[in-house]
Amino acid sequence: MAAPTKAKKRDFFDWLHGYTGQKYTTTILFLLIPIILMILFTVIPAVNMGIFSFQERDQFGASVKWVGLDNYKTLFSDSSYFETFINSIYYFAGSFVQQAVALLVACILCTKIKFANVFKGVIFFPYMMNGVAVSLIFRRFFQKGDGITNTEGTLNSILMLFGADPVKWLSNTDIVNWCLVFASVWRYIGFDIIMYIGAIQSISPDIYEAADLDGANSWQRFRYIIFPSIRPIIALQLILAIKGSISVFEIPYIITGGRFGTSTFVIRTIDTAFTYQHVGLASAMAVVLLAIILVVTGIQKAIFREDK
Amino acid sequence: MKLKKVLSAAVCSALVLSAASCGGSTASTTTAAATTAAANNNDTAATEAAATEAAATEAPAADDTTSGEKLTLTVLTCRTDRVQDGSLDAITDAFEAANNCEVKYQGYTDYVSDVSTMMNTTDYGDVLMIPDTVKLTDLANFFEPLGSYDEYKDKYNWADAKMYDGTVYGIAHRGNVSGGICYNKKVWADAGVTKLPTTPEEFIEDLKLIRDNTDAIPYYTNFAAADWTLVQWAALVLSASGDPAYENNILVNKEDIFVEGGAYYNVYKLMYDVFSDPTLIEEDPATTDWEGCKAAINNGKIGTMVMGSWAVSQFAEAGPNPDDIGYMPAPFSINGKQYAQSAPDYCYGINKNRSDAIKELGKKYITWYIEESGDAQAEGSICTLKGSEMPEYLDAFKDCELFVAEPAPDGLVGVWDTINNDSQVGTWAGDAANFKIRIAEAAIAGEPFSSVEAIFADNNQRWAATRDANAELEAYLAG
Repeated sequence: MAAPTKAKKRDFFDWLHGYTGQKYTTTILFLLIPIILMILFTVIPAVNMGIFSFQERDQFGASVKWVGLDNYKTLFSDSSYFETFINSIYYFAGSFVQQAVALLVACILCTKIKFANVFKGVIFFPYMMNGVAVSLIFRRFFQKGDGITNTEGTLNSILMLFGADPVKWLSNTDIVNWCLVFASVWRYIGFDIIMYIGAIQSISPDIYEAADLDGANSWQRFRYIIFPSIRPIIALQLILAIKGSISVFEIPYIITGGRFGTSTFVIRTIDTAFTYQHVGLASAMAVVLLAIILVVTGIQKAIFREDK
Repeated sequence: MKLKKVLSAAVCSALVLSAASCGGSTASTTTAAATTAAANNNDTAATEAAATEAAATEAPAADDTTSGEKLTLTVLTCRTDRVQDGSLDAITDAFEAANNCEVKYQGYTDYVSDVSTMMNTTDYGDVLMIPDTVKLTDLANFFEPLGSYDEYKDKYNWADAKMYDGTVYGIAHRGNVSGGICYNKKVWADAGVTKLPTTPEEFIEDLKLIRDNTDAIPYYTNFAAADWTLVQWAALVLSASGDPAYENNILVNKEDIFVEGGAYYNVYKLMYDVFSDPTLIEEDPATTDWEGCKAAINNGKIGTMVMGSWAVSQFAEAGPNPDDIGYMPAPFSINGKQYAQSAPDYCYGINKNRSDAIKELGKKYITWYIEESGDAQAEGSICTLKGSEMPEYLDAFKDCELFVAEPAPDGLVGVWDTINNDSQVGTWAGDAANFKIRIAEAAIAGEPFSSVEAIFADNNQRWAATRDANAELEAYLAG
């Protein structure tokens, strides 16, 4: 009886030693850690959030009550929760400018200019900076001094050099959202530029050569070669811009605290959870945001399938 | 061959691990093993936990004052400044010597939110300042009962601050008059003000005098940090009402929260009136600077700020003119008399998950801190022990009637908080959608925001809707 078992065992080890076996072991071992991390820090919290959204609970989870869909009813019957999405339009509008400028800069950097790599580095740098740090920089940048507790910020100082009057950037409701959008564009444009540069550089140089022989000028080269080749990337960037603009958070939260009409849905969610202790309702808000983003991602997937 | 080695190594390590875990479970009853196990562990939290555990098993057998084992008491505090400069440690030496123990202070800058998060586990210090996010009805889930209200009510001020069902769970470590206004005495005198204002109209007239007769900013809004600086106005409400049971009465009589002539209305109307006159406040409220304003009020560049009395010492220390900083009562009178509410600061409670020895030591610590340390007086606040002397800076309050807010009657405990949170009116909140922020925005930026009356009406309506749906209040009113 012992012999067959041994034989079987050897079979298993042989298999393990073989190509397929090694392939499976390496794959599983390599995947194990990221999957554990993902389950621990993404899946479990997300599932918990889904469960919380059907409960009435505070920050401590001391007296939990199941309320079914009540949180969702509250959310959809009070328009004030969704009004904050209006501010997302500013960021969405800003993202168009951002894409246009990014594309222009990317095209310039792809031509034979000096110090192209230095420029790439400098332009990409803001994206690597912490969002909180960027917000603090811009809070100082837009500051209006009163000469007593603080001095004029960078922007006002420069304006005053040219003899202009200092402006209250952050308490004027007509411009405050645009100031925040500017900070947001400044931070994320580097990433877009790098994406576009990557896409443009993947175009075969033969095509340019052919175009040169045909006597195409720069605009024609852009219009008939570059633009069609990078269209999928442009579509992707626009979808990312929509996602980004509905989940804006740290820039308004730190620069203005959501005041003077700059609040966003995520800020409202945070306040609901931690100021008013409605963790259940806030979880429902987070689930709704997740659903919106899933829908946008679905649209993105659909568009890309058509492109293929 | 390699694989075999790996397998045998795995088997070996499994054996070792299981042996270790067996050893662990048998040895955990003895202190020595627990401490060694903990010592092997680099994680300090685990070490602490093990140490407390060890203390727990040892304490009943041995008298903790005679045994060599020193108890360690961890105290969570929001006073990071006093932890860093060592002044808390310095005053605690006497207690440590008397009780043969070690008191460790842990300071948290963002105290309420950090400690609230820690309270999801059992590890939140031994003695801690009870965060106000814990509802009174939940106190028993987290804190050790300290005794009945009757035991404390004649001895201590504010004994009911952290009380539920007649049981006290926390004792204020000090207290203060709540609701007052910090001002620079020199600025106000230079402006020609001889008598402190007792009505909102007089207050605004005085600010205008400051604007006309001095270079100082009459009122500094601190709006950039509005999430807590505007909340300071909430402390004026009860003083403005002059009624210790003001909030209970609003509930019982089913009144709107903002009624013309009511204290909530009056206080925030005053805020609106001050903020809506750009000549009375700083240039740009969106970029104010809290640290900078401390020195500015000390140097007479700012006239006035509504702040809790805790701010007085900070303003006094921020520059060369500590004597110029004054504190005045809320400018509201009822039948010609001004009132001022006094209220507790954070209350010390004891973590209910700790061993009896630690709890006992914690109680001793709280009693010592309040009755013997003299820290409250040294800090310029009112001591919790009844009959202690009032601090000097409260001179302007000597003509005021001081009162302590009446606790909610049985059956109404926690109802105000519930309605306040559920309706998202948030009398003590400062989030971007809160009425304080909206009123200030309406005052400062005007047009795009709803009028102050509309904000009052909106909040009244939300309050009333939530209140009418509150079963506890219905039950109370019915029986």
